[in-house]
Amino acid sequence: MIRTTVVGNYPKISSDKNVPNLRNALNQFDQKKISREKLEEVYKATIVRVLKEQEEAGIDIITDGQIRWDDLVTPFAKNIEGCEINGLLRFFDNNVYYRKPVIKSRMVFKDYTTLEEYKFAKANSSKKLKVVLPGPLTWAKLSLDEYYNDLKTLVTDFSQILRKEVQKLDQEGVEYIQFDEPSLCNFPQEIGLVKESLRIITSGLKTKSILFLYFGSIRNLTSGLFDMPVDIIGIDLVSKPENLDVILKADVKKEVILGCLDARNTKMEDEKEILQLIDKVSKNIPPDKIYISPSCGLEFLPHENALKKIKLLSSIATKFNS
Amino acid sequence: MLLTTSVGSFPKPDYLAKARTQFSRGEITEEELHALEKKATAEVIKFQEEIGIDILVHGEMERGDMTTYFAERLEGFGVSGLVRSYGNRYYRKPVVLGEVKRKAPMTVETFKFAQSLTSKPVKGMLTGPYTMTDWSFNEYYPTRRDTALSLAQVIHQEVADLEKAGAKYIQIDEPALSTRPEEIDLAIEAMAIVTKGITAKTISHICYGDFSKIYPRLLDLPVDQLDLEFANSNFANLELFRNPKFTKEIAVGVVDVHSHIIETKEQVKANIKKALEVFPLEKVYIDPDCGLKTRSVEEAQAKLKVMVEAVREVKQELGIK
Repeated sequence: MIRTTVVGNYPKISSDKNVPNLRNALNQFDQKKISREKLEEVYKATIVRVLKEQEEAGIDIITDGQIRWDDLVTPFAKNIEGCEINGLLRFFDNNVYYRKPVIKSRMVFKDYTTLEEYKFAKANSSKKLKVVLPGPLTWAKLSLDEYYNDLKTLVTDFSQILRKEVQKLDQEGVEYIQFDEPSLCNFPQEIGLVKESLRIITSGLKTKSILFLYFGSIRNLTSGLFDMPVDIIGIDLVSKPENLDVILKADVKKEVILGCLDARNTKMEDEKEILQLIDKVSKNIPPDKIYISPSCGLEFLPHENALKKIKLLSSIATKFNS
Repeated sequence: MLLTTSVGSFPKPDYLAKARTQFSRGEITEEELHALEKKATAEVIKFQEEIGIDILVHGEMERGDMTTYFAERLEGFGVSGLVRSYGNRYYRKPVVLGEVKRKAPMTVETFKFAQSLTSKPVKGMLTGPYTMTDWSFNEYYPTRRDTALSLAQVIHQEVADLEKAGAKYIQIDEPALSTRPEEIDLAIEAMAIVTKGITAKTISHICYGDFSKIYPRLLDLPVDQLDLEFANSNFANLELFRNPKFTKEIAVGVVDVHSHIIETKEQVKANIKKALEVFPLEKVYIDPDCGLKTRSVEEAQAKLKVMVEAVREVKQELGIK
């Protein structure tokens, strides 16, 4: 039995007029035409819509779509003492931007970033939920360090902050916690540092932990990636098709998420081709250890296309499992 | 020497922004919208002449997004639903649905109109094939290379038509070029098709990226001039171009287009002088970091004024006319 999941974010708005209009609400809030409470209502309605869409599509492990997140790093930057938020930069190789955190002094935990978001999602969904967090190396690489001048100390301090966040989520009973580490593909030499950090973050957790790598190649990570102190490794098979060869050859004892639907193109995949791909992987990894997902967060697509992709994902899993 | 110019877009005046909304709702006709675009273009040209810019731009009053504008005019393209670029900003992304072909010239009329208003040169402004590829969804061509090379043919036709219409400077922007260093060969291959046989001066603007990954290969991009941003990183990337030596003409961004703060003349002069430490005087043009469309009209004008004044003083100090 393979299972389905998404990677993280999901389109916040839609051309469907029946969907809560978060874009409009944010504009009106900026122009002081609606209250903070009214904006909150629209946020909540949007998150409920996103949870429901995934449930109805038949996705097994869902997220809240990171609807309150402008990007992968600023929500954390806001809750860390010692961090400021700077100008816009391109997010990896996408025509999408993020705000660069600037580390001005020693980073200290100020507040939980995902706790309330998780509680709200939990109260409004019946499926298993996943909380997605920036991985420690990616956080460091996307930030501008004006204080540490030493990657290891910076990453270790951020790991302590993540540890605090994760422990709280664990107590709350969250089922899956995912760390997004796209930067590890670009800096394979830091694999030891990531391993050490994840050890700090995940030791003693009840929840299942996931390390997800997208956009890049895992070719230079073969020694060590499948020994990471997490339960599940997620891999983008679309941006770098060569990643499939790595998985087929590796000695994989862990569970894996196969990011096999292109989350950055509207073109719909051929169901048969994806089924063949899963078939191949299942010769090396038993199906009950396989999850399938889009290649990365779905916010690179318009809403209608994202929805089509998760429906396709679910249909593929159903076919494979029958 | 030290000729001043702009990267391309100017902020749309309020009346035009309003008219564009009205047009999208079907409240005004295409003719009414065009009339206002022309009015705004004329204002942009007049302003640049008044403050003494050397190579003018028409301001892109008729364009929304720099890829969508072309996608809407080419055969083979559709346009997607809304995709978020940052915060609460969304755009419709082009989708390649079939073979890409040019139905008719896309920018020549606007160029001719703008050029008819001034005796100074106006730049022809296009988006490059690599960027069009990178910033579109692709449901048709088997590979990114196929898409980029097909687009290159189409854009070449437009460049040739602009040249025929009298354009002395033609800019083919490739802002996506710095994002996938492993694809720089493709960007170069595509640009070679675009600029083949063109005698007008060709320019490419590239922004938002880590140039260290594509330099010095960047110098093989078949254009005469590169237009790069420097001010927003406080010239952090300047040293890179010292060694190996930069061989093309360079347009240096000396004011930050993403900041509301208007630089002082002294700051801009210092920026120009920094650039002259690395680039030879005879190859340097001066402009803002990027298109000005995200600034208010007042901010854009103030930034350009301070830029022109700073250039004037630097020229005086160096004893150039």
